[in-house]
Amino acid sequence: MNTDAIAALNQDYRDKYGFHDPEEYLLKAPKGLSHETVEMISRYKGEPAWMTEFRHEALDVFRAKPMPGWGNQELLHSLDFDDIHYYIKPSEEPARSWDDVPANIKQTFDRLGIPEAERRYLAGVSAQYESEVVYHSMRDDLQEQGVLFCDMDTGLREYPEIVRKYMASVIPVRDNKFAALNSAVWSGGSFIYVPKNTKVDIPLQAYFRINAENMGQFERTLIIVDEGSSVHYVEGCTAPSYSSASLHSAVVELVALKGAHVRYTTIQNWSTNVFNLVTKRAHAHEDAVVEWVDGNLGSRLTMKYPCVVLRGERAHGEVLSVAYAGTGQHQDAGAKMIHAAPNTTSRIISKSISKDEGRSSYRGLVKVGKRATGCKTSVECDALLIGDAARSDTYPTMEVAQQDVRVEHEARVSKLADEQLFYLQSRGLSAEQARLLIVNGFIEPFVRELPMEYAVELNRLIEMEMEGSVG
Amino acid sequence: MVDLAYTPGEAKPMLNADEVARLSRDRGEAEWLATWRRHALDRYLSCGLPARHTHLWRYTDPVSLLPVESTRDENPIAMPAEPAAPVSGTNAFDSGDPVLQLLGDRSFRMNDAARDCGLEIYSLSALAGSDARLLGQAVPARRGVFEALNSVLWASGIAVRIPAGLQLDRPLRILVPATERLTLPRLLIIGHEGATATVVEEHYGGLDASRVIGVSEVIVAANAHLRHVLLQHWRDGVGGHLTTRGVVGRDASLSTVVGSFGGALTKLDLGARLTEPGARSDLAGVALGEGEQRFDHHTAHLHEARHTSSTLDFKVALSGAARSAYTGLIRVDEQAAGSDAYQENRNLLLSTQSRAHSIPELEILTDDVSCAHGATVAPVDEQQRFYLRSRGLDRRRADRLIVKGFLDGTLRALPAAVRPTIETLVDRRLRRATGGQE
Repeated sequence: MNTDAIAALNQDYRDKYGFHDPEEYLLKAPKGLSHETVEMISRYKGEPAWMTEFRHEALDVFRAKPMPGWGNQELLHSLDFDDIHYYIKPSEEPARSWDDVPANIKQTFDRLGIPEAERRYLAGVSAQYESEVVYHSMRDDLQEQGVLFCDMDTGLREYPEIVRKYMASVIPVRDNKFAALNSAVWSGGSFIYVPKNTKVDIPLQAYFRINAENMGQFERTLIIVDEGSSVHYVEGCTAPSYSSASLHSAVVELVALKGAHVRYTTIQNWSTNVFNLVTKRAHAHEDAVVEWVDGNLGSRLTMKYPCVVLRGERAHGEVLSVAYAGTGQHQDAGAKMIHAAPNTTSRIISKSISKDEGRSSYRGLVKVGKRATGCKTSVECDALLIGDAARSDTYPTMEVAQQDVRVEHEARVSKLADEQLFYLQSRGLSAEQARLLIVNGFIEPFVRELPMEYAVELNRLIEMEMEGSVG
Repeated sequence: MVDLAYTPGEAKPMLNADEVARLSRDRGEAEWLATWRRHALDRYLSCGLPARHTHLWRYTDPVSLLPVESTRDENPIAMPAEPAAPVSGTNAFDSGDPVLQLLGDRSFRMNDAARDCGLEIYSLSALAGSDARLLGQAVPARRGVFEALNSVLWASGIAVRIPAGLQLDRPLRILVPATERLTLPRLLIIGHEGATATVVEEHYGGLDASRVIGVSEVIVAANAHLRHVLLQHWRDGVGGHLTTRGVVGRDASLSTVVGSFGGALTKLDLGARLTEPGARSDLAGVALGEGEQRFDHHTAHLHEARHTSSTLDFKVALSGAARSAYTGLIRVDEQAAGSDAYQENRNLLLSTQSRAHSIPELEILTDDVSCAHGATVAPVDEQQRFYLRSRGLDRRRADRLIVKGFLDGTLRALPAAVRPTIETLVDRRLRRATGGQE
């Protein structure tokens, strides 16, 4: 792929997502991280004392923990934690009606195509701009059934007993450096509680947007699905293209109680200056099903390994992921399955495309504990390479402390097959159309799992990324 | 031999430069080799023991592979009073096959067949000429602290030179008995252009306190085809760290066969660099563990040139409370287009206490490749067991048959010259592993 085509590609991102608004904020914390910053965020939000303390402790943990000793060391160590704004408040309380959203922000989301039209297909929508949720709505019937869906700050204010019970119960502060960072400075994110035996059959959606330069977004999402209930949550992310780095470091905790079914879908399309270092983990209790559907297209560096801890008997975990890495991108993504109870099952399907100088790595862990008899797990990794400078790594780890378990792993790495290209071209398709068709076929099992409008969007993104890929 | 002294606060034994120089002088080594050892010593002193969270050390404590403290007077490289026998028996030297045996404190002894078979076999201390630059090519001292320790101190080293065009029809057997405390064997096998040969490296014997830190380098020149068989059936209690690497040239091939059976703790680092177009490496491995045995195997196939290929088939069967970790890497560099690589690791667990970890890894830096790996860990199929028992076999026999079936594909692909040896070891091990328990 020639440089013109790369320029054209980036041009497209700039036109569609890469713009930024003039910064008109209520509050923008100065760069850098200290106990004062943490104190300020907490005071500004009017949080209870236990939360302020939680944040301060987390900051100490963050400072004490070393950077991960694995992954892309060069990029990780290029992160300058003192060159980031840790909190930006764009507007007053979240608007309930689209009309109340400040005009400039509304315009942003209109340009991004998250407008009112889309709300028609969704049960609830939340939009986060910088550190705070600016817009929020949910269908009335769900509200009547007792489904709680609000931003995390509101959740903490209105349902403190639930938040206090579950927050950091799945991902403790000490889990890793970035989880500690998030715990110290978290702001926004979604809080969802689905009461017993309630099926939320239309997806709930959140949209995350970074606008300012050198911004750090640290949303915190907590989803609790009570016994016999189900929910599907979808999130999307974009940011403007700046030359300096922004940091997105979310913590997402899911709790699927007995017989619950949770699906969490992410389409991550940050601009290629964003470091996306996210911790996502779910607890699946007896007979629960947790599915992470994870698409990583954007960002400079993504390190994300959605995890399911299978705590109850017969729980099932699933990760279905697609990563796309173009020049200047490293997608270090994967999945973790922790089998902690008997007869639990899990499946990981990971597909990656590395194009030009892009690098994608699958890094995964399947762990089967001592008491987890009768488990089954399978891991399947499929990598497609386009261009002789593209790179693909596979690092699956399997730790089995149990004899009565079936573990399977398979991985394949291959390039776009010349025979397939030749065949399609002999049927009258251009080389570009042929490539796109093959790539679409490659990720089809993933796209099939997305809600319709996301599937359309993903196909469009792939098409955009593949443009000019001939030559 | 030199003192192996531990100083407080230092995990690895300390060595001093004067003693290393003396060791080199005592062996009549040339100046370049003394310098070579000194560089290795610098490397050894500058690196610490690997941390437990680092790659390849998550499953093994490096401290347990280190020799126990000793002084010169204790002679850590003395042979145990009751020497063990190699798999071919105590009269291996009379079998007619070329055989040589490494000795702890001197160099080695060999039979007439080894002397007359056309191979050039000599002590590594006498390495000279163009072969000298090959020392440390495949396994440099910088590879790690154990490789560095071996480079500084190896006492009994052998160079086996296979002259250009030689077709060796009988395998050369190199016997490496473990000494009482510390054995530091080092082999340099050089297959010159167009040569064909099989070299069997057999580790055995030892006592509870025995530690073996070995390095084997296999150089395969253009159009040469070498087979390197690495067998390990140490006595219980022995701990060993063996590193073996091949460097394979244009249109040449290296076939490595590994059999891990004995010892308390075995860490093996195996692999090949495919440095020229048309190079090929095939690796077949079998590990059988029982009781409290620990295995930690690492394999690496490094594709550095166009149109290179590699295959790997590694099977592990465990009973008792045995544990195994397998980490297999396939790396295809930017300039290695048109390469293909395949890797398969299967683990069979015969008991509720046995554990297996499998970590296959791919690092693919170019697009014109075909790579695949597969890994499985599974218990014995109870239906198979039930079926065999319903036909009148007791549980031990049934298990033995199931393991044989599991290994069958791998064993059958072995060259005829080494297959009986490995089958003997497998049978011996299986009888022992399934013997005492129900």
